[in-house]
Amino acid sequence: MTSRPRIASLIFEVTQRCNHACLHCYNVWQGPQPAGRPYPRGEFDTARTLSLLAKALDECDCPHVTLTGGEPLLRPDLERILDFLQERKVRVTLISNGRLLDDRRVAALVGRGAALFELPLLSHRREMHDELSAAPGAWDAVLKAMTAVRLARGQVVAAFVLTRRNAADLAEALRLAFAFGARGVMINRFNPGGRGRDHLEELLPSVAQVREALATAESASAEYRLPISCSIPIQPCLIDTAAYPHIGFGYCAAGSERAYYALDPLGNLRPCNHSDLILGNLFANSFAELISPEKLSAFTCALPAHCSACERRLECQGGCKAAAQVCSGSLSAEEPFLRQALPAA
Amino acid sequence: MEFSRRDFMKLVGVSVASLALTRCRVSLPVSCYAPLPPPTPVLSDRDRLRNCWLRFGELASTTGSAYEQGEALRRQLSAEHRTLLDGFVQNWELNEAEANLVQEAYDAALYHVWRSNAPITCYEPVMVDYAPVSAQILVQQAQVLDELSGQGGIDPATLEAARAAIEHDLAFYALSDDEVNQLYERILAEWQSQGGATPAFEQIELEVTPDARHATEFILSLFTQR
Repeated sequence: MTSRPRIASLIFEVTQRCNHACLHCYNVWQGPQPAGRPYPRGEFDTARTLSLLAKALDECDCPHVTLTGGEPLLRPDLERILDFLQERKVRVTLISNGRLLDDRRVAALVGRGAALFELPLLSHRREMHDELSAAPGAWDAVLKAMTAVRLARGQVVAAFVLTRRNAADLAEALRLAFAFGARGVMINRFNPGGRGRDHLEELLPSVAQVREALATAESASAEYRLPISCSIPIQPCLIDTAAYPHIGFGYCAAGSERAYYALDPLGNLRPCNHSDLILGNLFANSFAELISPEKLSAFTCALPAHCSACERRLECQGGCKAAAQVCSGSLSAEEPFLRQALPAA
Repeated sequence: MEFSRRDFMKLVGVSVASLALTRCRVSLPVSCYAPLPPPTPVLSDRDRLRNCWLRFGELASTTGSAYEQGEALRRQLSAEHRTLLDGFVQNWELNEAEANLVQEAYDAALYHVWRSNAPITCYEPVMVDYAPVSAQILVQQAQVLDELSGQGGIDPATLEAARAAIEHDLAFYALSDDEVNQLYERILAEWQSQGGATPAFEQIELEVTPDARHATEFILSLFTQR
């Protein structure tokens, strides 16, 4: 009998459909696909979806599920999925672009235990947010959604995707997030993947831009007492993260209890939602089998050659291996943010 | 509302941890002069168990600075606590069920402290806290919102809703004790008008099972040293 692994969180991609077309989108089914093996597309009906979730939660000890997509609110049975998770006493975070979060829907979701909403706020300027979302009206919609969540006693964490184009907007965007009651902000440097690969040159921030953004965030975090995190890894050889004590920094957690495995709508499990590496299908294997060290070792042991002598390689792991894989075809390649900072070979 | 013994004990554990972290504990008498370090005391099992309950601050700081070390400390404390509890079962001070409930409370407290201090990661960004942010922050939010509204970019209806949300939260802090009581009275009246009769306090079922009661008293005795 296999043991029941313990994980801090599970990401469930409830649908691959989306009503926005963000330039920076990392969804692995978007953008260029490997010839002959595109990422599987589709989703189950409600009953099969719930049986997939039930199997996942039966087979691992997991107190927290993040519902994402695509845009999860495009699933008409989202409330049913939340009912199920509430019955299982699982805490829920919902990642949405906010477009469909009107007062009625927010009340229904908060009432079903979706207490935390992660919503994008890409700029204080309507034009910039809408352009990056490739969706006119996105900015107005997300501000409305933030307010609706707050009035319903839910909580919002704003996600600012730091790109070359909106880096200069960070300070004002943080101010806006604070004024609209965000309880925290995630500043994630653009991490190429999915559709984002088509916009690499246009969006990938320089090291100097990220450094400047961190200084802005450090100051805003102190001024507004606003928790700010950078969860997409920032390599300490490029930027001394210790210089920003108010900001939380995350590194790849794959293989550890902190890992946030991603389960797609068809039951395929991946090391994280940025990775296109399918460990297997949960209907065909147990959770423990899929995340066994043998299955994960290719992912967890990969390290760019550049990092092999670094003292902090075990912590940093070279940055985001998923980005390295989807951009270069190799988990051990330098991911684009690191590669741009290295001297040309 | 169903409320299991385990849920009750988890709340006890989290409450005790929260009080301990705010240094709300029975303090030992102190004098102006403490010139000599006291002799190293021989710790009883009860002292060692109490120490487990006094290490939440250490867990919080360790977790905040190094997530993995915090996780390791959490596991270590849980294991130490369980081992010590087993000694109390062997000495007949607790039965097995009561010891399990005390452990349940302790594990819930450890998880609460650990989770509240763990560096936020990609998809579990912050702990949900249902209380409004502080009044000072709300005032600051209102000021920033006013400044932003002067710039004219945000839809007026959305701005109004954002202001209403801040006022909604501020109202919580503006209430006097009398107003809070009036609020409760109004809510009760509304509830009764919808057909729900308010039970007398004596009629409210606040049943705590004997083992949960004993487990709770045991935890409290660790702090009060009685």
